Amino acid sequence: MRQRLLSGAVYALSSAIGVTAFLAPFFGPGVQEASSQLAGATTAPLLLTALVGLCFLALLFEAQGTMLGAKSVALLGILVAINASLRFAEVAFPGPGGFSPIFLLIILAGYCFGGPFGFLIGAMTILISGVITGGVGPWLPYQMFAAGWVGLSTALVRPCARALRVEGRGGEVVLLAIFGGLWGFAYGAIMNLWFWPWSAGAAAYYWQAGISAAETFQRYLAFYMLTSFIWDALAALGNIALIALFGAPVLRALERFHDRFIFVYRAEQGGR
Amino acid sequence: MHPLAWVCWLAGVLVALSALRNPLHLGLALLCIATVHAAHPPADRRLPAISPLRIALALTIFSALFNALSARFGATVLLRVPGEIPLLSGPITLEALVFGALNGLTLAGLVVAFGVAQGALPTSALIGLIPRAFYPLAVVSAIAITFVPTTLRHASQIREAQLIRGHQIRRLRDWLPLLMPLLVGGLEQAFQLAEAIAARGFASGGRADLSLPLRAALVGALALLLSGWLLALAWGQVVAGQLLMLAGGSVLIGLLWRAGRRAPRTRYQQIRWGGADSAVLIGAIVVIGAILLPLPAIDRAALTYYPYPALQPPPFDPLLGFATLGLAWPATVRAASAR
Repeated sequence: MRQRLLSGAVYALSSAIGVTAFLAPFFGPGVQEASSQLAGATTAPLLLTALVGLCFLALLFEAQGTMLGAKSVALLGILVAINASLRFAEVAFPGPGGFSPIFLLIILAGYCFGGPFGFLIGAMTILISGVITGGVGPWLPYQMFAAGWVGLSTALVRPCARALRVEGRGGEVVLLAIFGGLWGFAYGAIMNLWFWPWSAGAAAYYWQAGISAAETFQRYLAFYMLTSFIWDALAALGNIALIALFGAPVLRALERFHDRFIFVYRAEQGGR
Repeated sequence: MHPLAWVCWLAGVLVALSALRNPLHLGLALLCIATVHAAHPPADRRLPAISPLRIALALTIFSALFNALSARFGATVLLRVPGEIPLLSGPITLEALVFGALNGLTLAGLVVAFGVAQGALPTSALIGLIPRAFYPLAVVSAIAITFVPTTLRHASQIREAQLIRGHQIRRLRDWLPLLMPLLVGGLEQAFQLAEAIAARGFASGGRADLSLPLRAALVGALALLLSGWLLALAWGQVVAGQLLMLAGGSVLIGLLWRAGRRAPRTRYQQIRWGGADSAVLIGAIVVIGAILLPLPAIDRAALTYYPYPALQPPPFDPLLGFATLGLAWPATVRAASAR
């Protein structure tokens, strides 16, 4: 029980640090002062990267702790290889807008094998696909964190499926498709925050030090609608289409292998 | 070069490109990165990746155009977009073009630098950089990188088999007969792989879950980080907040180091740290120190450059420029080893 509470605390604190790191420029006076120099000689982005990196390591360490066996490692390795191949194909033959096929497996594998597994498959997919496509850079911890959150948050879907009594039925895929659609927008909105606070432009679309939270949200919404909405809408539609078309057979396959992979040895009664 | 020397060099590049906006000093840093790129071809054959120089050029042009179309500041108007189109209508200025180009060049430099390091290091060295505390994920990375070519080959075979059966891919739904055999085949392969690595003693030391004290310490470290972060940024208590963050970060790194000691490590081939690696390390330290430390001999104004409202010649600090040359050390290391 204590282990579960502490484990929950690790996930909660890491996510809280990640969220505050992404939103920090809007609330921190030190970062506001630095950003008022319009991204000149500032160490604020470096500090943010270090903080996100540290808390991401903690989250990775915690998620890894649940899967130290050979079966889990092999399963994760192969699924990451398949997903990284999909991303490689996406880079070589880009789809419309922000369409990406990698979130299909992240969401379905997280739903089937649990939130921590989903976190690992999301984060490791971005890492491995970055290595094979040459996309490694300082933005990688943010991408890994955001993709990991996609997988981690699938833990919220199963209780909803149970409450709606669609678990194991067609409605389960509909629920997952909606979930994938929402993350299509959320992923892009989160990644924009990596650069938006330090960008400069027309006052109606960019952030300035000293404005209120409501004004910040309004400007970000305006910027997002004009620059990213269509791109992320295609990503969301892509997620919905992939899960709607492939979700049921992929889930059946994953659940069949879940029973083969996740089993425990129990000693017989009488010590035999 | 030792992989850790590359990590130090990348840290220097990261600090330099994050802080430098002066086009002269930024140009010097980019010249150093380009020199290293020319001196270090890829170490081994991997899957073909997009050329970092091509990406760099595309990023610079896109960033310059995007900023010119979205920012309406600057005294030198090049042309005006008529009408009332949101974000697009209005004057396009030379200053906005230059500001966007500087941002694009920074991003391009990061892409090229990371591409150089990644290309110069063999995959085994990249995986070897993963800390010991994360050894299961290092095994996962090794499996994934090894199986990506196999997966692509398998996908190609499935595609050929489906073509022979008359299967045509016209809509999204038509990809299902490709995806399912690939997935099921991969999962079967994972099962066999699990048996193979278990037979070789992987995780044979018993299930080593995180202990209660270790987890509690992890929670404590994260709590210190979060409270320090909030103190420094939301409540303006910068010194206290940074001390708490430093304490939390130190505890976290100490925990990971302690956890890593439980994973014994053997090496097939030892990569030794040499004099050349020390030179690269010193070069990176000099760059980082010159940029981050408030040294009186360096003009801090030379770090930044603001093209608005009108373009003016940027300043140049010779000492800062000399320190920036520390980023070129990996190229000289390569030249010396070639002789």
